[in-house]
Amino acid sequence: MVSNPLALIAEVTHRCPLHCVYCSNPTKLATVQSELSTDEWVSVFKQSGKLGVLHAHFTGGEPLARTDLTELIAAARAAGLYTNLITSGIGLNAQRLQALIDAGLDHIQISFQDSREGPANWIAGAKSHAHKIELSREIRKHKVAFTVNLVVHRQNLDHLEEMIAFIEQLNPERVEIAHAQYYGWALENRAALLPTHKQLEKAVATVAAAEQRLAGQIRIDSVVPDYYAKYPKACMGGWGRRLMLINPSGKALPCHAAEVLPGLSFENVRERTLDWIWQESSSFRHFRGEDWMPEPCRGCERRKEDFGGCRCQAFLLAGDATVTDPACSLAPAHGLVETAVREANSGAELAEPVPATSFVQLQKLTSDLWNYRTNPE
Amino acid sequence: MAPPTDTSQPRLAPGCRWGGTEQERMILFPEGAIKLQGTGRQILERCDGQRSFADIIAELQKEFGTTDPEKIRADISMFLEQLQRKRIVDY
Repeated sequence: MVSNPLALIAEVTHRCPLHCVYCSNPTKLATVQSELSTDEWVSVFKQSGKLGVLHAHFTGGEPLARTDLTELIAAARAAGLYTNLITSGIGLNAQRLQALIDAGLDHIQISFQDSREGPANWIAGAKSHAHKIELSREIRKHKVAFTVNLVVHRQNLDHLEEMIAFIEQLNPERVEIAHAQYYGWALENRAALLPTHKQLEKAVATVAAAEQRLAGQIRIDSVVPDYYAKYPKACMGGWGRRLMLINPSGKALPCHAAEVLPGLSFENVRERTLDWIWQESSSFRHFRGEDWMPEPCRGCERRKEDFGGCRCQAFLLAGDATVTDPACSLAPAHGLVETAVREANSGAELAEPVPATSFVQLQKLTSDLWNYRTNPE
Repeated sequence: MAPPTDTSQPRLAPGCRWGGTEQERMILFPEGAIKLQGTGRQILERCDGQRSFADIIAELQKEFGTTDPEKIRADISMFLEQLQRKRIVDY
């Protein structure tokens, strides 16, 4: 008997008003027509509550793009789940925020792209920074938990100290300093995003100092980027071990990127119960436990800590989902990560943010540097 | 970071609340949950924003009559300090 999932990641839509170049959504986005209905999501939350799931993380795309979000939050809360909204804040005003909180929203997490307006909008491919600041002030009028999420990478790490000071005055309980993870759009744009050794070293010291200074006031959660780590991340806390993700069209996935894996077919909540998918489906059982593990994982003491790393990264980098995550320094395919890191440290200049009057113009002006995330059909 | 004082009124931080079942009570917070049993549960159930730190100590000292009162104070203080660091408790 497998223990129940602890958290449900509800990817309620892939639509998004932002075009962040580090977006980890799949490049093949779920279409608008395929999205689950309100009732279908309500059923997912009810089933989750019964299964013993504790948290529902609403994400996307931009969850606010769903006009029924308040209803969905209320349904998740009624099912006994802790509700967390991961959002850009675009589409949220004082009134809608109030409605979400009245519906039982426990926690809101707003992403910021930078402390500076120009660079922030350049990364997001949309004018969103000023609104996020305004919204943060509105959030602090309520008793909801507030986290600021900051994705860091090559283009903004040099002023991390300034970004932390900026976040400090937004007064959240918590800050997530998240290094870009190379999936989906971020992988396509990796050359422009991967930091240098020097940047990383400085960032680690900056974060440590901020943790010390802000202890008791703001909790800082940060993760070392896995390309620079000795061992891989325990992706999703292990395949089919803690988390279940439902994508906009109802596919149940063990992680955000799993759809890229060849040879696996994923069940849909329209056809199967969550319980069955979790316990019985071949996709959730595929990399669960240790039977699938290759060497050096199989004989490695760390296999119970990192579960062999990320299956999607193994496939995306090494072309084989069954090998040790190339981010691991012990992996036979680690050279692939070393090459990317070497290139990141071989002197390419930082890019200059460019102003543009439209998204189309911005895409054209930056086409040598990166591809912005686009929207589903 | 300062420890709680006698007049501090510890309470759950925004977005932190009780959940689970009567047998398995837990505090839910933004990215996780902690199961609480025994003393931890007894302390946190008294962190209601009404009772002062001194009240909480007095109540628990009564409960554990035989234990060194100073040790009880030190233990509760450290427990709350750790939870404030995690932004689960405010005082």
